[in-house]
Amino acid sequence: MKRILSAAVAGVIMVIASAHVGSPDVVYDGNAGPYALRVIVRPPPVVPGLAEVIVRALDSGVTRVVIRPVYWRAGVAGAPEGDEAKPVAGALSTYRGQLWLMARGAYSVYVTAEGPKGSGTAIVPVMSVATGRLGFSPLLASLLAVLGVVLIAGLLSLVHAAAGASLVEPGDAISPARRQRARRITVAAVPVLALMVFGGARWWQSVDADYQRTIFHPPTPTMSVHRVGDQQVLELSTRAAGARGAVGDVIPDHGKIMHLFLISDDGMTTFAHLHPAQLDSETFRVQLPSIAAGSYHVFADVVTETGSNLTLASTVKLPPPMPRAESADSDDAWTRTPTVPRLAPAAAAPLGDGAMLVWAGDGAPIVAGQPVELRFIVRDSAGREVALRPYLGMAGHAVIARSDDSVFVHLHPMGTVSTTAQQVFELRDRGDTTRSGRLRLGTAQPAAPMATMPLRIRDAAPLGGAVSFPYEFPKPGRYRLWVQVKPGNHVRTGTFDVIVN
Amino acid sequence: MNPMTLAIDTQSTYTASSTTRSSLWHAYTAVVAAVCVMVGVYWDISWHMSIGRDTFWTPAHLLIQSGGLIAGVSSGYVALRTTLRGSEAERESAVPFWGFRAPLGAWICIWGCLAMLTSAPFDNWWHNAYGLDVKIVSPPHTLLALGIFSIVLGALLLTMAQQNRARDAERVRLALLVSVVGGLFIMNFAIFLTEYSERMMLHGGLFYEIAAVFFPFALCAFSRAGQHRWSATIAAGTFMTVMLVLMWFIQLFPATPRLGPIYQHIGHMVTLSWPLWLIVPAVAIDWLRARYDSRLPSLALAALLGAVFLITFIAVEWPFATFLVENPAARNWFFNAANYVYWAGSAYVARSHHFSSAASRQLGMHLAIAAGVAMISSAVGLAWGRWLTKVRR
Repeated sequence: MKRILSAAVAGVIMVIASAHVGSPDVVYDGNAGPYALRVIVRPPPVVPGLAEVIVRALDSGVTRVVIRPVYWRAGVAGAPEGDEAKPVAGALSTYRGQLWLMARGAYSVYVTAEGPKGSGTAIVPVMSVATGRLGFSPLLASLLAVLGVVLIAGLLSLVHAAAGASLVEPGDAISPARRQRARRITVAAVPVLALMVFGGARWWQSVDADYQRTIFHPPTPTMSVHRVGDQQVLELSTRAAGARGAVGDVIPDHGKIMHLFLISDDGMTTFAHLHPAQLDSETFRVQLPSIAAGSYHVFADVVTETGSNLTLASTVKLPPPMPRAESADSDDAWTRTPTVPRLAPAAAAPLGDGAMLVWAGDGAPIVAGQPVELRFIVRDSAGREVALRPYLGMAGHAVIARSDDSVFVHLHPMGTVSTTAQQVFELRDRGDTTRSGRLRLGTAQPAAPMATMPLRIRDAAPLGGAVSFPYEFPKPGRYRLWVQVKPGNHVRTGTFDVIVN
Repeated sequence: MNPMTLAIDTQSTYTASSTTRSSLWHAYTAVVAAVCVMVGVYWDISWHMSIGRDTFWTPAHLLIQSGGLIAGVSSGYVALRTTLRGSEAERESAVPFWGFRAPLGAWICIWGCLAMLTSAPFDNWWHNAYGLDVKIVSPPHTLLALGIFSIVLGALLLTMAQQNRARDAERVRLALLVSVVGGLFIMNFAIFLTEYSERMMLHGGLFYEIAAVFFPFALCAFSRAGQHRWSATIAAGTFMTVMLVLMWFIQLFPATPRLGPIYQHIGHMVTLSWPLWLIVPAVAIDWLRARYDSRLPSLALAALLGAVFLITFIAVEWPFATFLVENPAARNWFFNAANYVYWAGSAYVARSHHFSSAASRQLGMHLAIAAGVAMISSAVGLAWGRWLTKVRR
């Protein structure tokens, strides 16, 4: 038992990438019918495990909140009945509940709000993957070790009693011969017991090894740069990762089959958000714009037809750009910012042409594990608010990376979720699926049918100059934040540093 | 007869009888505890098959825990009372253990209770570390199963010691009780092997190999240790009766899954499949053992009983499994062959109507191995049965 414990105590919690990197919590701002809600889902590190769901009604009038876990393959028809989220004492219009995520893969938490204006449901996609294993606390380890030793010693004493005293007629004394025999049998039982404990330890190790294999590791793609005519292309392939690295059938998110982010190694001075095209099921290719040579971290966001939101992570060394390098997609954007302002009251980041991205938040410290509204206003050189145009169907996009690259997340005004993943669940509920739960897609061009999916612009009304992103930083540290907006015909990127306590 | 001899005999019988009565309540209490635990285990499995979501406080869990506590606490009381305030007769019918005195069965119950208690934080950690388990056989569940097994074994030894010391009508009554506890003992094995005895596996070699490890051991042991002519038969009959009553009764209660994904929309509690037909080999073993126990050497008897176990078990289980798997007439409340858990997908359901071809590969070799294993298991069972007849305290 001691051996087992020492092996288990050595275990530590490992948190790695799922959808996004190092930032498993889901933050969603959106509507459930007539009610505006903010939903935070903290998925469990193990599957099956308990997800924590916090719902804050941003509108008054919500009287009841019901949460329900829906698995991609089974849809609403195969979901258990919802649980009522309980109001949180001391927090206005805030409700909390827990849900069991029993299977691996894409889930959505269906949040139904009820009130005088009727009821409505918001779909909040969540990835259910095992990301770590819990270690033993010293107290529990000590307790189990003591109990284990008592149980083993007790077992040997039981063998001794069974082979000796228990066979003596009441009233008779145990004979020396029987006593001797009991002792011999007890000694013989020691190696048998040791073998059982050893076998148990080996079994535990094999269960643990099996579990480690189920821990989610995002496929690591192979990166390469090729010259095509007077341009260079960056190619991303998951072929080398084999079957385990297969990402499945990818569908467009915000109209793009993949969102590829490059962050330079030299203190994150260069950032690019590109949109590769899919060559085959394992290969994606993008024309490189004029960005500086050097080492880059690569993060590629894709959504699969199951509604899974995956981030593939890798690195690449880029050669100097071609003289006539240009982007092939007008939605591609990149920036180089050697000096970056820190997020503080009235801090502003230049967007070019005199426009500025101004932090509209207060000076309150940003704390890890607490929801924060990252709110900005775009102003021109005269300080006037500039009306934004939709960029990939939204008022803006934001990317956050921790200085050590342990956290990477791609945010939208609706939070960390993907609209396409939401739509996948909607389609599934409508019955647009095969018997195995897959979407009814054409096979020749996996992406083509989904390209007709309407982009969902969050506000049909004309956009103002403000854009905000709800988020919850996973841990303290120094982060860099890139905000991408479209104040005119071109995408502009504003960069800030964020210190999180 | 010498009047003096008669007086001594009367005295001796009186002492033994009073000792038996004074600790008989404890044996009965342990049997009740064992029943609580085993019914609780069955109910809990059914709960997980049907509802899924549970807490520490579900009725099934409470029944298991109360069974463990009844056995542990009553045994602890007996140990303290015997050690500190026990009469000479009580102390002399107990075994010493770490400075205390109590019957062997009581110590095993206490050990079982401690193992069950240890498994609770271990299992809780296991769920947090690896996720809520959907398999019965995991390390913390094995520790829990050992604890539960010990409660049943403790109850068996307490009743066995009483049986071995009792006389006449009391001995007959206690022999019946021993066989009933033997049924719970077999139920322990059968439930632990559920994952290896699904009905589609009953035409496969692996099932018979695993069954041969456990069941000839138990049946041969009870056949020899019980003072009743049909001890193993009563034990196997008790096992089947308890399993069938629980299978039919628990199904009557409505239930809806509270975990998802749900692939089977069930409206009532789902229970374990029809129990194994162990009563058939048990009858054969009881009959043959009574006939040949004193006539054949132990190893020859073990070989005979092992072979007969396998032949009779296959003879009944094979055609019955065919009926359960392939015949739609079995898919009802009575035969319970449509007892799909809520997470059983359509592919599993389709598969469950056919025997696995992989399982039946190299069947002859597997059955030959199973026969060898059954003979060894019978030999060990007979030896253990002989030891059981000697337990006095």
